Formats: sequence, structure tokens, C-alpha cells
Amino acid sequence: MLVNLDPHDARPLYLQIMDEVRRALVVGTLRPEDPLPSVRELASELVVNPRTVLQAYRELEREGVVYVRRGQGTFVAPDVHSGRQERLALGREVAKRALLEARRSGLGVEELLTFIREVAAEEEGEPSPAVSAANPGDEE
Amino acid sequence: MMQPALHSTPRPREVLREHARVLGRALRIPAVAVVGLMVLATLLVISEVPRQGGGIDFHPERYMLPALLGLVFPIVVWRGEDRFGPGFLWTLPVDRRRHALAKVSAGWIWLMSAVALFVLWLFALTLLSGGSVLGEETVRVLSSPVPAPGTFADPGAVQTVRLAPQPLYWLTPFTAATGAYLLASALALGLRHPLRWIVGAALGLQLVVIAGDATNVEWLAQLPSRLLQPLYAGPYGIDTLVSARTESVEVRVTLPTGERVRAWRALPHLGRWAAATLLWTGVGLAILWAAASRHRELRRS
Amino acid sequence: MSAYAVATHGLSKRYGGETALDRVDLRVPDGAVYVLVGANGAGKSTTLRVLMNLVRPDSGTAEVLGMDTGRRGAEVRAQVGYVPDGRNPAYPRMTCGRLLQHVAIFYPAWDAAYAGDLMRAFDLQADRRVGTLSKGEARRLHLVLALAHRPPLLLLDEPTDGLDPVVRRTALALLAEHIADTPTTVLISTHQIHEVESLADHVGVLRAGRLTAQMSRDELQRTVRRYRVEVPEGWKPPPELRVAGLRRSSTGREIQWTLVGEEREVVERLTLAGGRVREAKPLTLEDAAVAFLTEEVTG
Repeated sequence: MLVNLDPHDARPLYLQIMDEVRRALVVGTLRPEDPLPSVRELASELVVNPRTVLQAYRELEREGVVYVRRGQGTFVAPDVHSGRQERLALGREVAKRALLEARRSGLGVEELLTFIREVAAEEEGEPSPAVSAANPGDEE
Repeated sequence: MMQPALHSTPRPREVLREHARVLGRALRIPAVAVVGLMVLATLLVISEVPRQGGGIDFHPERYMLPALLGLVFPIVVWRGEDRFGPGFLWTLPVDRRRHALAKVSAGWIWLMSAVALFVLWLFALTLLSGGSVLGEETVRVLSSPVPAPGTFADPGAVQTVRLAPQPLYWLTPFTAATGAYLLASALALGLRHPLRWIVGAALGLQLVVIAGDATNVEWLAQLPSRLLQPLYAGPYGIDTLVSARTESVEVRVTLPTGERVRAWRALPHLGRWAAATLLWTGVGLAILWAAASRHRELRRS
Repeated sequence: MSAYAVATHGLSKRYGGETALDRVDLRVPDGAVYVLVGANGAGKSTTLRVLMNLVRPDSGTAEVLGMDTGRRGAEVRAQVGYVPDGRNPAYPRMTCGRLLQHVAIFYPAWDAAYAGDLMRAFDLQADRRVGTLSKGEARRLHLVLALAHRPPLLLLDEPTDGLDPVVRRTALALLAEHIADTPTTVLISTHQIHEVESLADHVGVLRAGRLTAQMSRDELQRTVRRYRVEVPEGWKPPPELRVAGLRRSSTGREIQWTLVGEEREVVERLTLAGGRVREAKPLTLEDAAVAFLTEEVTG
């Protein structure tokens, strides 16, 4: 599991770690019953306080995402549907950040949604049907 | 969180032993140089003696070297240490005053070893050159005041005396070196810039003499020597500690026959020697304690 | 009192005309990784030296693990792993291995195997003479000496100074592992907050000898925000706001301000005073520390 922390993200570090774990679950890098890196290993790799890693793992355990096997470490919970809840939590985090940015730039929610769809379509390489229907004259 | 048991400080004996080890290592190279010199000197003496006739008698107390060694030893002991700043030595978990004294003690152990080596070497020289170890010695004693240079001594005032051997004086190199070492260590520990103080004191005394001469005030010009004379050459002076007073009592006089001989103004006195040794060792210990106390850790509050 | 690994009470120290410390009340909780930040010459090194009883303060006292540093200096130092600032290790003619042996005598709790591991991890050879080490290598050696006896308290003065970026990361990663293995309180003094930011869970800011801010990371997260406020012409700021750092004016009608306090309260005060809060952005430890270090510009 590769974990990366954003130095400019002002959110509590343990939340960032939790998100990274969730991300790994959603993407499929982590599967049920997979072991998580030990607190010591992860703390060393990320150069964070081991207590922060411990806090993240404890929170994840509280949420039922992981569990602790005595003397063996922390493992992904077997009944985690890779996706559902994690997707939800991740999605909400992404949305929060996007909204924050939007608010800073004076954009409203609906505007933001429109722009998101536009840009997504551009990246796909084909005009999205919703866009062309809404703006028939928009060729640029 | 449960507080784990406190880590302990090291045992004083271990600290002393370690400092002795470190110092020993640092002395290796000078030691080799010294041994080399000793060998050279031995060869020289051996080749010279048959020519001059008569051997070198064993009188370890008549050499200034042990005292001089004691005087300069603290330079080696404290080299590279930041005595008054946040030096590495003081970051270690030993009480600062005790630590300073431990280092002084470690130095003293090596100093005594060096002096012992010196005494053994003198002993070897005596044996090799055919001198006497415990034999009686013939010396001349001058009972009148020292004649002015150029004039002859009154032959009646010069007597020959047979001196009995006094093995206790063989302790002198050790006590002399110790006394000098205590004093010099006190200077090193007590003063940030001991050399400045020494030079300053010497200059100061010299200034007093100059002032006295310039203003023609005789007692002023004589003051430094009047103070220092008994301190050094008096019956209980430093020279008694250092050489059983044999150094300062020796003079050269010219007999009417034209012969230049050595004579002593006074004979060595065992009791005074013992007293002077105790006195100066006591003074040295006291000054050393005071100097080390400058480093004590207990806060004034 | 026993909840704090380090506590100073009104610590003051002047050097000539310069105030290094001015009535500093440092509080480092047990088990914390506390970063003391300040500009160069701000008295951070002096603080650590007072804790080690290498320097006597002009007034005030300090306690380490409940022990008065002035009275029980040797015992205190037995519990501490100290990395001094900038000085070269003593005894330049000694080899690194011999120096380790030397220091081991003074710390009965010394773990020789761990010392060997640390030497390897830091890429230091035991047969190198201490005097031939580069600045970075000397720093690493100091770290080995400090960590090897697994002390309950680490006092690190600019621990990564002089280390190139790769070695810096190694050193900090090793520190993280050390903390994971040994219950330790760490007090790091540095003017480079960025590197140790991820390790820290407490911060203290020393400016001109005064401790202008001291809080846990959580508290900082909760109470320090950079606000973007739209203000009318000739706006006067409300007086009861606790300010940290510069008030920047981008266009005259919008200002950017770092303030300390519960977000809701601060927003309320600003709004009541006539401003319109556009954004309340939480700050990284580094940005917050920088804000606390800069002089407040009024008017």
C-alpha cells in the first residue's frame, strides 16, 4: 500500500492517513484480510509521529474498516465491501474540498457542477450529451 | 502513560577509570617521545661518566623536572575541553564539580606514573654509572654569609660535612609533582584564562619594582622580592617542597686556592621538609576545591 | 506537574544587552513531540542548555520529569539524549567506535546493539576519527549518541541542520521508529519547521525571548485560521481579536488575516464589526508558526 501525505493539506494527519487507507480499499490495492503496515513501519515511511498512525488505525477500527489481531498487527476487516462506505467517505471529502475552493472563488454549487461536467467531458474527448443539449450554440 | 524507572547515573569509579583510559590514550605519543629521550640521555650519560670519573649518586629530590611536569600536566589533561562553556564533558550525567575533580584525579594517576618512571630511570642511571644509592655524601657547608662575586670565601667558613642518606627524601619527586599539579589544576579550573592571570601577575610585580626604582622608594622596589623570597626559598617555602630546599641553598664559591666549589648555605632538614610538604599539599587541595566549586551545579536560589 | 515531561517557570536569561529568554513558561506534555520554533538567536538553544543545566538562567526554574534541573543536574542528564547545536563532538583524535564506548560508560542504560544498528543506518564507520567527520556526519553521530541509551527525553537542537535532504529523511524516519519503540518525549528546537512538521504534535513559538504561542496540534487545528474578509472602506478592526501574524491587504477591500480563536466566535466578531468572511482556512503547522513569528502590522 502506497501512502502519500500532502504537506500543504492542513487537515489533521490522522484523517489524511485514514483517507489513504480508504483510497487503497476503493481502488483495490487493499483487500479484505490484507495486513496494514505496522504502526512503526508506516510512521517511519511517512515520517510522522507513531501516535498519529495509531490514532488513524484506532479510528478505522472504530468504524469497522480494520481490526487488530493480537500480536500480529492490523488487518482489513473481512466484511468490508471494497467500495461502498469508503467510496462514500472519500467522495464526501473530495466534495468538501471542491466546495471550499469554489466558495473561495465565489462560485455557487450549481455553477461548480456544470463546470465539472464540462471539463470531464473535454477530458473524455467527446462532448457530453447533457452539455450539447444545454448549450447548442457553444462550439468553442 | 506509566513513567518507566529512572535511568541511573554512572558509578564514580567507572567515571574515573574511563577518564584515566582516555587520558592514557592521549599520552601515548608524548610517552613514546619521552622514552626515546630517556634512552638517548642514558646513552649520553653512560658514555660521559667513565671520562669524568665517579658515578651519579641517587638523589631524586635534587631535580626540578617532576615539579615542572606537574605544573604543565593540566595543559594535557584539559586540552580540547571547553572548561567554562557548554562543553561535551558537562553534558554527561555526572555532577559537574565531581566530574572536574575526577578528571584532575585521572591526570594525577598518570602524573605519578610518569614521575615513577623518572625515578626508576634515575635509579638505573645510578646503577649503570656506578654511583651510590644509600651511601654517605660529602658536602661543603658555608657558615658565613655568601661572599660577593669575585671575592674569596673565608676558608674557615667552609666546612666539610658527611651527610647520612635519607631515603624519605625519595618521596620528594612525587610530592613536588603533586603540589605543582594541584596548583596548576586549580588555575586551570578556576580561571577562564589562567595564562593571562599569570602573565598579568608577573607584569604587575615587575611594574611595582619599576615604580619603586623610578620613585626611589626602596621598600617598594624590594617588595616583590621580599614577598617572594621566603615564599620560595624560605625554610617552609616552595623549594622545600620541590627539592627539600637543596636547590636554593646551593651556591658556588671561590676558595682562596682558586678552586671553585659548590657549597650549601644550609643542610636539608627532614622535619621542615615534611612540614612544608604537608603545608603546600594542603594549600593546593584547598585551592583546587575552591576552583572546582566554581563549577558546582547547585543553584544559588 | 507530573503530566509534563518538561516545565519551565518564568525562565529568563540575558546575554549582555540581548534578551534570549523572557519569562518563558514552557510546557511539554509527557510523550509529546514538541517543536520549539523561533528565528535564529531566539533563545531556543539557551532553553535546551538550561534544561541540561549547562547554563544558569538569570531567574526562573525548570523541571525535567519532575526534577529541578538546577539541583539534580546529573540525574536529569541521565534521562536525556541531547543533540547540541552546531558544535563538533569532542575528542577529534578518537575514533567513532571509541567515542561510543566512552559515552556508553556514562549511561548504564546504553544499548550497544542498538547503537551499532544506528551507526549502520546512518552510514557511519566506527573506525573514522571524529575530527575527520563532515558537519552532517557529526550531526548523525550526535543523534546516535543521543538515541542509543533510549532516554525518556530527547532534547534535539537543530537535529537536521547540515544534513542533505536524503539523510534528513533517514534521520527523521529513524526518529519516528525510535519513538514507536521507546516511550519518549521529544523536544526539538529548530528554525526549519517544515521537516519536522509531520512528527510534531505540539508547537511553541519563541519570538524575541517570549513564548508567544504554545499549543497542541489539535488546538492549532481548531483555533488558528487564516480569514479572508471583505471589508468596507476605512474599516476598523475590533479590538478583542487575538491576532497572529500579518494582516495583508490585497486590494484594500479584502484583507487576509490569521487569527486565533474558535471559528464561530471569530466570524461573529468580524461580522459584527462590519466585515464579511469569505473564507476561514485552517493552516499547516508551518504556516501557523510563521504567522506567530511575524510581527503584527497594525493600522
